[in-house]
Amino acid sequence: MSPRLTLSLPVLLAATAAGAVEFHAAISVAPQTVTEDRGSPYYVGPPTVDTPRRSGRNDLQLRMQEGGFNAQGILRQEVADGQRPGYHGIANQFYYDGQITPGLGWTVGKKVMPWGVGFGFKPLDVIQREDRRGINPPPLVGVPLVALERLTATDAWTVAWTRPGQGNGETDSRDSSLALHWYRLADGDDLHGVMRVSQRRRLEAGFGATHIVGDEWSVHGAALYQRRTRQRTNTLPDNGGTFATTDPMVEKTGGGGVKSVAGVQWTGDSGLSVLAEAWYDADAWRRRDWQALDALTARQRALAGFAPPAAIDGNVAWSSQAYQATNLLRENLLLRLAWDDRDGFKPYADVLFTPSDGGRVYTVAASWQGNRQRFTLGARQAGGAADSAYAQAPIRRVLWAEWQLALF
Amino acid sequence: MFERLLPLLLLAAPVHAAEHVAALLKAADAFRLPADSVRVETHVELYKNDALDKERLYTVYMKPGRRSLVLMKSPSEAGQKVLMLADQFWLLMPESQRPLRITASQKLLGEASTGDIATMTWSDDYDGSVKDEVDCPNPPAGLPDAPAAAKARRCLHLDLAQARSGVTYARVELYLDKATRTPVKADLYVGSGKRAKEAWYFAKPIDGQPRITTMVLTDDIQPNRRTVIRYRSIVPKTAPDEFFNPAALVRNPLTDW
Repeated sequence: MSPRLTLSLPVLLAATAAGAVEFHAAISVAPQTVTEDRGSPYYVGPPTVDTPRRSGRNDLQLRMQEGGFNAQGILRQEVADGQRPGYHGIANQFYYDGQITPGLGWTVGKKVMPWGVGFGFKPLDVIQREDRRGINPPPLVGVPLVALERLTATDAWTVAWTRPGQGNGETDSRDSSLALHWYRLADGDDLHGVMRVSQRRRLEAGFGATHIVGDEWSVHGAALYQRRTRQRTNTLPDNGGTFATTDPMVEKTGGGGVKSVAGVQWTGDSGLSVLAEAWYDADAWRRRDWQALDALTARQRALAGFAPPAAIDGNVAWSSQAYQATNLLRENLLLRLAWDDRDGFKPYADVLFTPSDGGRVYTVAASWQGNRQRFTLGARQAGGAADSAYAQAPIRRVLWAEWQLALF
Repeated sequence: MFERLLPLLLLAAPVHAAEHVAALLKAADAFRLPADSVRVETHVELYKNDALDKERLYTVYMKPGRRSLVLMKSPSEAGQKVLMLADQFWLLMPESQRPLRITASQKLLGEASTGDIATMTWSDDYDGSVKDEVDCPNPPAGLPDAPAAAKARRCLHLDLAQARSGVTYARVELYLDKATRTPVKADLYVGSGKRAKEAWYFAKPIDGQPRITTMVLTDDIQPNRRTVIRYRSIVPKTAPDEFFNPAALVRNPLTDW
């Protein structure tokens, strides 16, 4: 268990006993089943890759607030076929919001801080990325920071020093940075501006807006320029090799690039809602990058019988890390249909398209909210053109469920 | 003399009627909201087929200029907030810590419409006319908090249309007690012209003054549903303007307010 969480629990309980705090607890059980595609060129089975067919996450979530002090933590059990259960303590947030003068505040601690505009992809999430399309997404884990915030009736300025003193990190959220967020409510429109300076990206600057049209329509858009792009690629196609003895997937640094999103949403009186959103991610691969990896994988597979099976499986497994990218391809289009029956039942279906290779990801899910309980059931399936990245994914289908009970 | 004044009287008549309706609505609002800036503790019971299905707790801060901030307090919604600035709306989900801009239609979604909880006045949002004078309608049998035996009263029947965009209901037929101006009943219509809900208002004396303490909503779209909204406390309170900034939703606990 994280020492910080261990430390915070007695504080939570003592404060609750004093009766001066808001304290909430919930338990959740979230099993999922994956179906692998054994015909995928990127499929590697045991012993090299042992993907449990069934797994689950069982959480006790605790949240408290007293004045400006906020804490959120999870005690988690992870279970999977053929594996011993694992237990973790996670301190999601642990921070204090203070005030210097009316409208001028400060924050210190570990805080969740997404700033983006969008649904499927939010380029302005420069400090922390929130995945709203995730399968049973666990609560976000905050970033250590010191922040100063200025608020007026229509404007807000936030200057945040994230991960103070930690230097260069392996991911954007682990990289120490100085970030600025500006917000203005102007003539009914939400305007956002961000700027960030960090070791990994050097300079990032972006702008986003949400505009409401009538009672039913909203339009949103955002764009971010990054002085450096970051892309995890396989070095073998570049150096002409077929097999590597160490992980050939390395992060490459590129020149300036842009991430952008634009979307429109309609919601009717009936509770029906339609979202169309397109986005571009300069960190993601082009079609030709996937074709190069497909060709490499085909060469490796063709040597079955000549090369050691462990060398083939190991290299393919390394290559399959490409599926861990935020976006598999640069251009993406999401269509989403949702319904809210105003009685706690919310089904939705969406399709993610990657137009450059004809890939598709289909998702259907529904949740039902009772007085204290919530049930969610969902299914996601990859498909599309046979040579598309999604259609060749080693995991073909995921089914998931979640039961959550709010205790108090 | 009269012939000279007649055109002026005819011109003044609609203005006078409009002023009359505005005064009626102001008087009716005072039974629901005794001050311009308030904190309201609200308890909501959602019934399905006459059985209690869900309970929700809300703290609502209201300020002049059609500003409302709704904090959701029940265990399954704790940490959620909705901010309403005139016809603009934002939702904060605690897991995201990011205010989401929502449309007026999205505001209507959810189990208990935020608009029903966060809007407690008519005079800022509606114009209309006194349609006729009728016997006050009697609430259906079995409505919670309804007076045991309603006295025969005369009511003013007002036909109100939205004066601004973004209001929860496009049209309201409101019945006010003719003698006291106390709200008795409202028929609530959505933009398509369809009646969405029927609202009943029940008053009790608080600090010697009659106040609406319960609103019961029956749903026309889902007739097996009924919502009972009880105002547990309404306290004059002026929260700072910066609390009504959408960016402040992620920051202000409002526990001291």
